[in-house]
Amino acid sequence: MSAMSIPLTTTLEVRGVTVRFGGVIAVDDVTFTARTAEVLGVMGPNGAGKTTLFNVISGVQRPTSGEVSLGGTRLTGRGVEDVAALGVTRTFQTPVMFWGLTVRESVEVALAAREFGGTYPPAPWRELVRCGLGTPGRRRENAVLRERADAILTAAGIVAMAGRATESLAFGEERLLEMARALAVSPTVLLLDEPLSGLNPDEIEAVLASIRAARSSGVAVLLVEHAVGELLAVADRVVVLDHGRKIAEGSPQAVADDPLVIDAYIGDDASTGSA
Amino acid sequence: MIAQLWQYVLAGVVVGAIYALIAAGFVLIYQVTGLINFAQGEFAMIGAMTASALATSGMPVFEAAAIAVLVASVTGALCYLLAIRPARAATGVTLIFITLGLDVALRGLGLFVWGTNPLSLPAFTGGAAITVFGGVLPPQAMWVLLTDLLVFAALYLFFRHTYAGTAVRAAVANPPIASTFGIPLRTFAFWSFVAAAAIGGLGGVVVAPITSATYDMGLTLGLAGFVAAVLGGLDSLPGALVGGFVLGIVEKLAGGVLSTGWEQGVGFLILVLVLVLRPQGLLGRAVRRA
Amino acid sequence: MGGVLVSRASPAAYGRIALGLVLLVAVLVWFLPSYYTGLLTQIGLYALVTIGLNLFMGYAGQVSLGQAAFVGIGAYTSAALAVKGHVTPWVGLIAGALVAALVAYILSFIALRLRENLLALATLALGIVINVVFNEWEFIGGSSGFKDIPGFALGTFTFDQRAYAILAWALVAIGIWFAGNVVRSSFGRALVAISAGELGAQTLGVDSERLKRQTFVLSAVYAGVAGAVYASSFSYIDPSSFSFLLSVNFVLMSVIGGIRSMWGAVIGAAVVVALGQVLQNVVPVVLPSARGDFQSFFLGVILIAMLILLPRGITSRLREARA
Repeated sequence: MSAMSIPLTTTLEVRGVTVRFGGVIAVDDVTFTARTAEVLGVMGPNGAGKTTLFNVISGVQRPTSGEVSLGGTRLTGRGVEDVAALGVTRTFQTPVMFWGLTVRESVEVALAAREFGGTYPPAPWRELVRCGLGTPGRRRENAVLRERADAILTAAGIVAMAGRATESLAFGEERLLEMARALAVSPTVLLLDEPLSGLNPDEIEAVLASIRAARSSGVAVLLVEHAVGELLAVADRVVVLDHGRKIAEGSPQAVADDPLVIDAYIGDDASTGSA
Repeated sequence: MIAQLWQYVLAGVVVGAIYALIAAGFVLIYQVTGLINFAQGEFAMIGAMTASALATSGMPVFEAAAIAVLVASVTGALCYLLAIRPARAATGVTLIFITLGLDVALRGLGLFVWGTNPLSLPAFTGGAAITVFGGVLPPQAMWVLLTDLLVFAALYLFFRHTYAGTAVRAAVANPPIASTFGIPLRTFAFWSFVAAAAIGGLGGVVVAPITSATYDMGLTLGLAGFVAAVLGGLDSLPGALVGGFVLGIVEKLAGGVLSTGWEQGVGFLILVLVLVLRPQGLLGRAVRRA
Repeated sequence: MGGVLVSRASPAAYGRIALGLVLLVAVLVWFLPSYYTGLLTQIGLYALVTIGLNLFMGYAGQVSLGQAAFVGIGAYTSAALAVKGHVTPWVGLIAGALVAALVAYILSFIALRLRENLLALATLALGIVINVVFNEWEFIGGSSGFKDIPGFALGTFTFDQRAYAILAWALVAIGIWFAGNVVRSSFGRALVAISAGELGAQTLGVDSERLKRQTFVLSAVYAGVAGAVYASSFSYIDPSSFSFLLSVNFVLMSVIGGIRSMWGAVIGAAVVVALGQVLQNVVPVVLPSARGDFQSFFLGVILIAMLILLPRGITSRLREARA
């Protein structure tokens, strides 16, 4: 474990979360916690409820019952942007790109929210008026945002594409940008939904390096990933879901040896042929 | 007072029947393509104007009516082929603008061809006014209601009891799977425009003897038609029928009790309320891609 | 590709070009016949509305088919104050903008919960309901509207056609400068972000509802200001001046010029007004039977053709050519 100086405190608490879609139970009474400065792998065969769980944590989906809280603050029931303002952000299986903006500008969007106290635009109408008038103060802030964006892109190793239009990015570049953008909001908890899928080996290394860097700066990283080998290698702890239920939790080694987990995956292998 | 209100209700039933036909066209196109066709009312205008112009020049009413429906159908086909199909890669907002453009263009075309003067169409059959519990209906009202009955029955039979109808329902429920089964979505889109135009044209033809026909009647009819469609739930044909009648009756009551200016206003107030409180409409399921 | 979507002119350039336009108009009005000066005023006022609409539709990715109602609210507010309360149109201008903003703010809680198709329907419906209110409210003249609306004045100088053209274009310049600043700021970038990926932007803390609301209100301010000037410069308004068809025309201007562009609003307004004039003069010569508002046929066809052939408007092509 790196960064032992940061205390391993519980930060994200998922308590008894259940999600029903009509008659289907996508997530069934799942409880676990994530701690600062750790990578918590979330494993499970297809349809185990991993993405639905992420949707609940990030405020996209309201759970049928149960709740999610962050450092004692209830997240359930808040809007996506408020959850983000409290420090929980995420990426998507298919990267969401802001077409029309450059790479740098995309990061600035994330930074602006951070800069102005959580959500953007800040409460009253002042921000719109300041932007419209182009006040000197606002322009200085823009310059600062730009510098910070470049710093974040440098840290992510993609500063060379700062000025490129997001439409021109290759899939792997989109993943790297989305990750850098998420880190720009300085999250307490970062949810990564299959960040390695569709990447070449170099890009996988870059993403894994970003994950480790985020961990050492104190972020709790929740990682859903189909590449089980990579997941077990980078995760500090693992939670395993199957058919919406948590069937195992523990160190990567313990989970990999758990017969229940092997069963779940073999069953899935037999039916879908993926691992 | 009660007699007066009853008369408003009867008048509402007649216009409501027309709204239901226009709404059915909206629903057909929306179900198959996910598109709101702002030009829907213009098909009714084209039907009404064509029939009136032909009848004025001496053609028997039923022949004129048949040709008018044909002309409206061809217009619908052309709209799809010239405006919708070439832009099928476009996003939702662009397609909204395109059908808006169609609406404006068809109204302008109507003006070109038929001018600004209202045309009239003789009632299909003569005879005395029909009395219903003390209220009065023009004889043409029977034709309007009969048309509704036939059109909605035909649509019901098509969707429930033909292979093509089942295929359309499958395609709407799950486009990717439908296309792997070889169900031709694009062909369905084309025919949904043709059918919607034919039904709209028919609506225009049967209402023309009551309201007379003008080049700009399509806008009002079209707007009312989609209030009815939204009211009933954009994806529900029975909803279109119910929505049409509800809207027609409410409009006539509001027009009679408040003032005629509120006839249209009340419809749109209802539309806004429905969109906010119950976007799936009275009879619809959850609206797709709301 | 993306580079051409968001204009990167510097703030100073926006200001300078806008100022240049005002000076050009100020010179032109001394040479143009008064009929054309009137058209120039009309283009300016339409452009102003379209600039606001482009913020809401082009940048924030929303749709409004009821923008004419806000023009009407600005016009009626200013006219009612001037006719009934003898308040100077200068105050009416500000009041018109404020009332339009207030109405947009209230309506945003209804309309902005909806997207695409349903948002289009809702804004259309609200626009028509507002028009019915104009028609039915006797206090503001009912269906006959207001006549003899007092004009703007500076000291003892009462505005003539020339002065209105200059005022309209000065407002366009301010409008472009302000909106241009907005789109190149964090605010504008956040708008582009929500139009491209609303949920993605929200997960970064972007409050898309607030952004949309503020942009909708800003677009209503542009429309309200244009309406107030319109009322005084034409000295006559009635409900039919602010119908659904005017809303469609604004969409047309927006699309023709380029929906995500500031100058596009000016070009779109100019093209639509000029085209209307040309058609009005040429078509009856070729087709003597043409009467009434037949131009709408061509406008509709042009709108469709633009969307199929040049979906990002004339200015996108200009920018590509320059790049």
